[in-house]
Amino acid sequence: MTEADILHWFRDTSLGAAVRHSRWMFATGETFHFLGLSLLVGGILIVDLRLLGFLRHISMRSALAFLPFAIIGFVINLLTGILFFTADPMMYWPNPAFRLKMFLILLAGINALIFTLFMHRQALALGDDDQATTFMKVSAGLSLSLWLVVLLLGRLLPAFEGSTSFF
Amino acid sequence: MEFLAWLEQTEFSTWLRESDWAHPIVLCFHAVGMGLVVGISFMYCARVLGYAKSFPLAAFDQLFGLAWFGFAMNAASGIVLLMAEPRRMPFTPAFLIKMVMIVFAGLSLWALSRTLEGTERTRTKDVKVPRGAKVAAITSIVFWCGAIVAGRLIGYTIGPPPA
Repeated sequence: MTEADILHWFRDTSLGAAVRHSRWMFATGETFHFLGLSLLVGGILIVDLRLLGFLRHISMRSALAFLPFAIIGFVINLLTGILFFTADPMMYWPNPAFRLKMFLILLAGINALIFTLFMHRQALALGDDDQATTFMKVSAGLSLSLWLVVLLLGRLLPAFEGSTSFF
Repeated sequence: MEFLAWLEQTEFSTWLRESDWAHPIVLCFHAVGMGLVVGISFMYCARVLGYAKSFPLAAFDQLFGLAWFGFAMNAASGIVLLMAEPRRMPFTPAFLIKMVMIVFAGLSLWALSRTLEGTERTRTKDVKVPRGAKVAAITSIVFWCGAIVAGRLIGYTIGPPPA
């Protein structure tokens, strides 16, 4: 299967056809994409700011309680994102903003995985006023910056339509 | 009306409409501000509704500073977006509904803070959140969702300038 075959497969799914023919599916998807974005931002802000040393007077365990909102937001945006992609894969795939966005989401995912595997348990033990380790702070800083750039690239994506200047 | 027509013809307004980058960049700021305001509001409302009870209500005070920063960013970027289409935007129902939704979301959050007066906010054990606060939390979630839906509809429903 070549790259073009895969893109055609996406475009020819019944979902892709449905989105292209519907007047409201794309716009509804966008609205949910914004709600997912807000949940993701709200959730990671509390976790990452606590790790970075803001909100210091609370335990890490209670800050991490907000993580499920970030995960729910991400899942909403993954599903609505697939919906957008299937509607017009030939536009998204060569778009440099789309490629960079997907690459940064991958990096953010790896960063979250490393945190979960190697730092999560240690982080849960941090009580009121305890400082996070340097590794945790780097991970939190990476998470905030990566998601910020992902958000910006999503908004800039239409402006890069038809451009192949980098990546 | 004459003022709006004049505004539309200003160099700034024309540049906003015609430049390739002006509009997407302003929308970037608008999206980041939305994430801060709505994201922090959602987390706060979830807490008021009983989620993450070990997280003291007072800890949100620091986050409110960030939410206000996001609000200021969106007021500013919103005014710029309005200036790009001064003859069309004010007559677009979705835009007017969005403004009303934002006012009501703000009023809900204000009412929420009023109902929490007298509630112990720094402790977490045995803190009882009053019923009124929970109602205000639900209404503010609903109004923020309404603002997002209406905002998304602006681009799809904005009409030609009135004759």
